[in-house]
Amino acid sequence: MVENRPFLTFLAHLVMVLGVLFVAFPVWIAFVASTHEPGTFLSGVVPMLPGKAGWETYRQILFSGVSASGAPPIWLMMKNSLIMALSITVGKITISILSAFAIVYFRFPFRVAAFWLIFITLMLPVEVRIVPTFKVVADLGMLNSYAGLSIPLIASATATFLFRQFFLTIPDELAEAARIDGASPMKFFRDMVLPLSRTNIAALFVILFIYGWNQYVWPMLITTDPDHYTLVMGIKRMVAVADSDPQWNYVMASVVLAMLPPVLVVVGMQRLFVKGLVEQEK
Amino acid sequence: MAQITLSGVKKIYPGGVEAVKGVDLEIAEGEFVVFVGPSGCGKSTLLRMIAGLETVSQGEIRIGDRVVNNVEPADRDIAMVFQNYALYPHMSVRQNLSYGLKNRKMPKEEITRRIDDTARILQITDYLDRKPRALSGGQRQRVAMGRAIVRDPAAFLFDEPLSNLDAKLRLHMRGEIKHLHRRLATTSVYVTHDQLEAMTLADKLVVLNGGRIEQVGKPLDLYRRPASVFVAGFLGAPAMNLLDAHVDGGALHVGDVQILQGVAAQGPVIAGLRPEDVHARVQPGGAFRLEFVEELGGMRLLHGSVEGQRLIIQSPLQAEVGPEMALQIAPEALHLFNVADGMRITNAVRQAPEAADATG
Repeated sequence: MVENRPFLTFLAHLVMVLGVLFVAFPVWIAFVASTHEPGTFLSGVVPMLPGKAGWETYRQILFSGVSASGAPPIWLMMKNSLIMALSITVGKITISILSAFAIVYFRFPFRVAAFWLIFITLMLPVEVRIVPTFKVVADLGMLNSYAGLSIPLIASATATFLFRQFFLTIPDELAEAARIDGASPMKFFRDMVLPLSRTNIAALFVILFIYGWNQYVWPMLITTDPDHYTLVMGIKRMVAVADSDPQWNYVMASVVLAMLPPVLVVVGMQRLFVKGLVEQEK
Repeated sequence: MAQITLSGVKKIYPGGVEAVKGVDLEIAEGEFVVFVGPSGCGKSTLLRMIAGLETVSQGEIRIGDRVVNNVEPADRDIAMVFQNYALYPHMSVRQNLSYGLKNRKMPKEEITRRIDDTARILQITDYLDRKPRALSGGQRQRVAMGRAIVRDPAAFLFDEPLSNLDAKLRLHMRGEIKHLHRRLATTSVYVTHDQLEAMTLADKLVVLNGGRIEQVGKPLDLYRRPASVFVAGFLGAPAMNLLDAHVDGGALHVGDVQILQGVAAQGPVIAGLRPEDVHARVQPGGAFRLEFVEELGGMRLLHGSVEGQRLIIQSPLQAEVGPEMALQIAPEALHLFNVADGMRITNAVRQAPEAADATG
C-alpha cells in the first residue's frame, strides 16, 4: 500500500524516531554512566553528557579487573565469551547442516523418526534439562573448561530444522544432475549444498553467535574458576558485591564492551544476513 | 555411441504400484527415439531407469553390451537434459560445463578444448562466464544441452526439455535439437507428452500408455496405420475422429447414416477418420450438422456432428460451408478398430471402388 499524505509520512517518522529513542536511550545512559566517577550515578542526579573519567575506567576494567568484586580483567572474560560463542556457533552449524543433509538426501531406516527426535529437543532447552545436563557434564569432568561451556549448548534442533527446510527447496534434479556428472554424495554436499546454503549459514551464524554470547545461566553454573568466567556472567558478579555499593561506572563500561562483538558480527554480516532471511538464491 | 536394449523392464514402486509393466525395446546406435504418452504413462520412469536414477524392479537394461542394472548413473556413459535444466545456480556456465569432466579427472587442456567446441556448436561462447540466473530460458536450455554434449557420452537422455519454453522458442529449439542430432549422430532418447514434438523429432516413435508400449515405429507409419484406438487418438492435431459405428453387409454405418461401402468386418466397430481425410460439400439434408468454424489462417476446421457424434473436418479455405453438409470419404482413409480391445482391424477395406456418397 503506497499512500502519499504528508501527515501520514510525518506520523510514520515520528513513530520511528520515538522507537529509536526508546531503544537507544538506555544504551546512551549506560555509556554516559561508564564515563563518570563511581559515585556520580548514585547521587540521584543522572547526568546526560559523558564525563571525564572514561579512559581511566575502560583501561582499568580491560586490563586489571575490578578487584573488589573478584572479577578478572575484561579482556580475559571477552576471550572466554568469544571462544564459547564461536564454539557454539561453529559446532551447531556443522552438526546441524550435516544432519539435515543426511535427513533430506539419504534413505535410511527410521529417517523420519530421527528427524522427529531431533525436532523434539526444540521443546527441551538447556534451562529445562539443566540439572541432568549439569550432572552429565560434572561426571565427565568438564566443569571449568571450554568444552563444558559450549558442548551442552551445541545440541539443538533449530538449525537442523532450518537447513532441512532449505534443502527441501533445492530441486531434486540438481542432485540427479550432479549424480550423473559423477559427484559422490559428499562431493555433492561440498560443491552444491554448501555454496547454495551460504546465505543461510551467514544468517544462522549471526543468530547463534548472539545466542552463545548472551548465555548466562549455564556459564554461571559450571564455572567457578575466574579464568573461565564469561563476560555476561562477569557483569552479574560485579553487580552482586557484598557489603558495598556496586561500582556502576565499571559495570556500565563492561556492558558497553559486551555489546560490541555482537554489534560487529551483525554489521559485518548484515548484507548476507538480510539476504539469507529474505531471498533464496536458486 | 551405443545401442540400448530394454528387455522385460518393469518398475514396481513400494506399495505395489506398477509404473512400467514390462517393456521390450531395441534402440539402435545413433537412433533418435521418442517416448510419448499422456502423463502417468511411465515414459519418464522408463527414461530415469535408463539413466540409473530409478532402480529396475525386473528385467534388464543394456547400454552397448553391458548390463547396467546396477551401474551408477555416472558410470553408464550417458548424459541427461532435465525439464527444469537443473543448472548449478552458483556456478558460471563454464563451470557448469566442466563440472562433470573435472569429476572424471580429465586433463585441463582437454576440458578447455571441449568447452570451446561445445560453446561454438551451441553459440553460447559469449555467455561462458555468466551465471545461469543471468540467462534467458532459451540460453539456459542451450547450456543444459551443452552440459550433455561436452561429455561426449554414448547416449543423450532428454526429459521433456522444451516444456518450460514458450511456443515460439520451443519450435526453434526443436529444430536445433534435430539439427544437432544430425550433426553428432549420438543415440538419443527423448521423452515428451507433446505429440507434435514427438512426430517431428523421432526416427523411431514409442507410444506408451499405462506403463506398456502401445506401438513402436516410424512416426509416419504410426500416423498412417495406428495399431490401436489409443495411438489413433493420440497422434495428430486435431486428433483423429473416433466414431461408434457398425458394419452391416459390408456397409459402414454411423447411427442410421451409411458412410462407406465395401468394408470387410462385421458388427460394431470404432471408425477412425483423420480430419484431413474427410471431405464435405454443402448439401441440404446432409448427414453432417455444422456447429461452428475454427479459422486457422491457412485452412479452417469445421466442428459438427454426425448422428449426434462429434466430427471435426479440415477444410480448404475456398470450399463452401453450410449448416448441413454431405460427407465424402476415401475408403483407404478409413481406420477400423475392435470395440472390445481397441486394436486395429487389418485389411478392413476390401477394395477401393468409387468413393461412396453418404447422404442422410
